[in-house]
Amino acid sequence: MNETDSLDFNRRDFLRSGSLATLMTMLGGVELIAQTPSAPADADKPKGPRVKLGVIGIGPWGREILNTLARLPQAEVVAVCDTYAAMAKRGGTAAPGAAVTADYQTILDNKDITAVVIATPTHLHKDIAVAALKAGKHVYCEAPLAHTIEDARAIAQAAKALPGLVFQSGLQLRSDPQRHFLLPFIRSGALGKSVMARAQFHKKQTWRQTSPNPEREKAVNWRLDKEVSLGLVGEIGCHPIDQVTWYFNGLPKAATGFGSTILHQDGRTVPDTVQAVLEFPAGVNMIYHATLANSFDAEYEMLHGSDAAVMMRESKAWMFKEVDSPLLGWEVYARKETFYKETGIALVAGASKSTGDAPKEEVPFTNTPLSFALGNFLRNASDFTIAKKEFIESFGEDADALKEHLTKLARQPAAGFVEGYQATVIAIKTNEAIMTGKRVEIKPEMYELT
Amino acid sequence: MKMKKSDMKLGYIALALAAVMPLQAADTIRLNSKPGSLKVRIEGTSNIHDWQVEGKLIGGYMEVGQNFPLEPGKAAEPGKVEAKAEAFIPVRSLRSIEKDGSPYSTKMDDIMFEKLRVTEFDRVVFRLSEMTLKEAAKSKDAPYVFEAKGEVVVGGVTNAITMPVSITPLGDNQLKVVGSVGLKMSDFKIEPPAPAIAAGLIKTGDPVTVKFEWLVVQKKAAAAAPAK
Repeated sequence: MNETDSLDFNRRDFLRSGSLATLMTMLGGVELIAQTPSAPADADKPKGPRVKLGVIGIGPWGREILNTLARLPQAEVVAVCDTYAAMAKRGGTAAPGAAVTADYQTILDNKDITAVVIATPTHLHKDIAVAALKAGKHVYCEAPLAHTIEDARAIAQAAKALPGLVFQSGLQLRSDPQRHFLLPFIRSGALGKSVMARAQFHKKQTWRQTSPNPEREKAVNWRLDKEVSLGLVGEIGCHPIDQVTWYFNGLPKAATGFGSTILHQDGRTVPDTVQAVLEFPAGVNMIYHATLANSFDAEYEMLHGSDAAVMMRESKAWMFKEVDSPLLGWEVYARKETFYKETGIALVAGASKSTGDAPKEEVPFTNTPLSFALGNFLRNASDFTIAKKEFIESFGEDADALKEHLTKLARQPAAGFVEGYQATVIAIKTNEAIMTGKRVEIKPEMYELT
Repeated sequence: MKMKKSDMKLGYIALALAAVMPLQAADTIRLNSKPGSLKVRIEGTSNIHDWQVEGKLIGGYMEVGQNFPLEPGKAAEPGKVEAKAEAFIPVRSLRSIEKDGSPYSTKMDDIMFEKLRVTEFDRVVFRLSEMTLKEAAKSKDAPYVFEAKGEVVVGGVTNAITMPVSITPLGDNQLKVVGSVGLKMSDFKIEPPAPAIAAGLIKTGDPVTVKFEWLVVQKKAAAAAPAK
């Protein structure tokens, strides 16, 4: 029996994508566009030496990673690993020429491999990440880092102890140029006083994968098991929550949550519908809600300020100004579009359908956040490997000076071990709030890496 | 056969020379590149704005004679000095930067690496052939001013250069070597980059200025192991 992907493109996605810009612009949104549009990922030659890497964990997301790496000229996937033969085999198909193995240690023992990407179930990250770092590999570890604070801390501390290696956590939006473009705009106070933040994930899907036997069932449906899964807020919510901590430049001090299993009553112990409120400093709260039972309005983040709100949706962003907010100046010339309002189904007698001359939506090509994140990881990994070699050739062995040199090396933007650890702590404590239906404090020392 | 007096004189001279010459080779002092505040900076122009590139790695060595002013304030007479050096800059250590020192653009870095033919020639190399002291240090903290002649190799192409170099002894047999030289990209068969960017064609100027600050130090011999 074949296992179904939980990331299948479906009809809902198709219908939804056609009306995004329409929905936004009819609400009077001014689109915020990064000035330098990102080039397609199909560059002729690699930007720097190719990086030989291994990918560990070939589930649906692991295969998405392999497909993305296939479009990055700097990536050379030489090994793939999964403990389940069928998954490993699919990995081999997605990375032609790569060695296929069930034992990640063979990847770590391979001296030619300088970097690994870890995309196993969350609760299995720790042993692999720590071993990979000790084996001298640059590591890209998917977010959340772990399902317990203890494990997340072990990973982060192992990365901290080895500044000569690149450790990147899978908070891919931290590498997205569009998000970086927004950061100074928001931090400059263009939104006025911070009021609140919202984020949501609505997608009607089961998350349950089919499997041939009970043993495999437990392994493949780890996301539905509260013993090892952080649920919706951990697996999905960690990304928008991290974005809000980044933009607000603050960490939440408490979380209150609710969780219910509304639709998928199949024995799972992880709720399919959650709501959470995260308390940020100065009374600014973030509301997060996610469900696997309904798809309306899909996925986005919003930052609300006293002068304007910004919506971030996929790789686009819109600003909605208050009528009494000061003029920034440029918005007079900014692109605005108006469309005839069309949302839902109107049940009105005598209604006539009028589309007008709706201009064709221009969708500039852009890489996915995952592509930017992996691209930056590869660039940082090769820069570090080269910098270390060149330092030793220039000055000989001098561990302290080398450490200082590598610490000061300019990096492509990416979430490191600090960001990954803190986002994981937030995910764990928020999930705890959801599972208990209580307010859970997140003490400042929990965010520290001693 | 009785030796003539002149033959004996020649013999003494020959003996003296034989005794002295091997010692001269052993009397040079080798100083190796040291990590620290060193850097190399390349400044250039374009039709859009001036640009700058910096690197923090300079490898190599200097070998100087016994009379070289290694200590601050040491007396020295202008003239040729015994010195030999080979320094290299790893091309991939160079990074374009903004005026405030923050990173500029990896796209520009990649264009630069390609123009410097990095896959074949991963270093810029300077070999010193002659050094002349022009001005001794005016005080203990002041530099000695030299004129250095040598050749520089960029992208596999070699050109002779002459440049002023200031050397400041820092004590403990450490030297800070500071210099600057104007070069032209075209002299090294490098076509000034003209990348097509959304705003239009950027045309880079041919002349560049290379500035460097290099630290070299004589490595101390390891302490002898105590006798058992």
